[in-house]
Amino acid sequence: MNLLLIEDDLEAAKFLQKGLTESGYAVSLAVDGRDGLKQAQEQAFDLLITDRMLPHLDGLALVRALREQGVRTPVLVLSALGTVDDRVLGLKAGGDDYLTKPFAFSELLARVEALLRRSAAEKNVPQTRIRVADLEMDLLSRSVTRAGKEIQLTAREFKLLEFLMRHADQVVTRTMLLEGVWDLQFDPQTNLIDVHMSRLRQAVDKGFARPLIHTVRGAGYVIRDEDKSA
Amino acid sequence: MKISPLRTSAARLALGYGAIFTLGVGALLGTVYFLTTRVLENEADAVISAELEGLTDEYRRDGLSGLADELSFRADSWGQTGAVYLLVDANLVKEGGNLTSWPFDGIPNAQWTQFDLKSPREDDKVRMHPVRASVSLLPDNHRLLVGLDVTQQRRFASTFRYATLWGIGLTALAGAIAGYFLSRKLTRRVQSVAATCDAIVGGDLDRRLPMDGSQDEFDALALAVNNMVDRLAENAQLLRATFDSAAHDLRGPLYRLRGRLEDAGRMPTTEQPVRAGIDAALTELDRVQRTLATLLQIAQAESGMAAAHRATVDLAELITDIGELYEPAAREKSMTLQVQATGSCCVNGNRQLLAQLVANLVENSLKYLAAGGHIDIRAQRDGETVWLMVADDGPGIAQGDRTAALKPFVRLPQAQSTDGSGLGLSLVAAISRLHHAQLLLEDNQPGLRVRLGLAAGA
Repeated sequence: MNLLLIEDDLEAAKFLQKGLTESGYAVSLAVDGRDGLKQAQEQAFDLLITDRMLPHLDGLALVRALREQGVRTPVLVLSALGTVDDRVLGLKAGGDDYLTKPFAFSELLARVEALLRRSAAEKNVPQTRIRVADLEMDLLSRSVTRAGKEIQLTAREFKLLEFLMRHADQVVTRTMLLEGVWDLQFDPQTNLIDVHMSRLRQAVDKGFARPLIHTVRGAGYVIRDEDKSA
Repeated sequence: MKISPLRTSAARLALGYGAIFTLGVGALLGTVYFLTTRVLENEADAVISAELEGLTDEYRRDGLSGLADELSFRADSWGQTGAVYLLVDANLVKEGGNLTSWPFDGIPNAQWTQFDLKSPREDDKVRMHPVRASVSLLPDNHRLLVGLDVTQQRRFASTFRYATLWGIGLTALAGAIAGYFLSRKLTRRVQSVAATCDAIVGGDLDRRLPMDGSQDEFDALALAVNNMVDRLAENAQLLRATFDSAAHDLRGPLYRLRGRLEDAGRMPTTEQPVRAGIDAALTELDRVQRTLATLLQIAQAESGMAAAHRATVDLAELITDIGELYEPAAREKSMTLQVQATGSCCVNGNRQLLAQLVANLVENSLKYLAAGGHIDIRAQRDGETVWLMVADDGPGIAQGDRTAALKPFVRLPQAQSTDGSGLGLSLVAAISRLHHAQLLLEDNQPGLRVRLGLAAGA
């Protein structure tokens, strides 16, 4: 997977590049907007990560320019401004996801994976059933069964599980869950998501030999069939 | 603030001046009326006295028959002009003159008297003529009455009276109308000043009061206010620039520091105790960065520069979401959390910021409540206002501390033991101000009740 990272803070960019490379991505680096646009036009990348504030060409202007040229590469916008408006503007300009600095590297990694997976999944027809091991979700009847046994969930628990299952085998962070399930973009002080997750686990994993929902230390959660991957 | 044109100082002033002016006009016209009628009356009296005197002289000279002749002569000439004569004997029987009979019952006491004379007219209608008269007692118990038809004078006086009353009435009316328009004009001007000031207070520091160049007192006021706002804008700009550069200078290094720490933590050669140290440092760094982000958010909201993305937000839905998000956390701490929303609670605002506001309040409650505590979140529409309320039965905030509690970095005594940044409520205040909302911290008896009043929107 080829990524292009456009970031004018060279030192920070180096750390991100190093981390992403260690995670198995090939990362090209651009240090200003003009350079970034040039590279993105010349070479096909799987994903663009761009800072919002860049010399010569603003990150949002860059995304807009690419979209106008028909470049559909997913873009993750990084911003230091950190207000809600920036997020709205960023997504309006054609960004696919928006991450506010400061962020943990694991957060960036999870979002990069989600975006890459999403752009692959978009080529497929929309699903009506999602399966992870013996856990099955019917999106039409809004029912969930595990090993043929019906699992009772509240509407919110259903949404939470749906989000996890749509991102099966990927790490989803607490912020991603808050955004995706509750449509909230703030940073709660308490471990809210953990409490919700533990309740979901009770419903989904309790009484079964193989747990499907796993905690990824320092990052978030993942729903995964461990036997299959093992 | 809505100003009623009837309650302004201009209206009071106009009313006061109008009243004084009306009184003045009334006094003037009244005096003129009084003096004029007096003059007319005196003139009539003088004519009557002279006649009476002349006729008495005639009587002395020529006796009763001479007087009777004189009377019939005068009645023919003077009588045409409204003069009235009557000579009666001791039994009040007519002996001469142009009156048909004695007009009084008995003898009038006063020297001056009046009566009404009926004069038949050609159209058979009887017309009453007021007559002013004087009676003189002649030596042989005869009485001589001389009078004057004062219809014209009375009519004049009556016309004058009407004119006076109309004059006073019109003066008062003109005063009231002029006062109303003056007041309305002033009210409009004051209202436009107030609206501009509101906008400035609301964060639009580019607004200035209009000046029409007339150099009147409003221009002087506008100039003074504009100078003040210039100064404020300058300070705000300076503060913002300082703040922005400080924040920027802090953010860069912190960002890189995080990169360095995370990088070191990921190295396979890093040993476990060092890794634990790095994790602890990252947690601390999280807090610093979060505080910085919150400060930036407060600064942006306070400066009003955050042209926050606004849309219709249903607070009923929002608090249901937030309540549902926090309910398990409350239950874990053995607290109860209840959400109650009645009716349509739509406002025009920024959903994320309002969510942050509610979340901050709920988190505060979770932080300070003891086990068994109760948190109540409500949204309710009351006329043109939607009230959002977060209440708990915790320790609350003492009356005197409530204003301070909204200021950044102020940590009240009960907060010393917790690890908050002291920014939660300031962010609440900043978001509330950005929404032009009314923020009230009240006693929930016991506990804290925070109420936010927002203008209801479609």
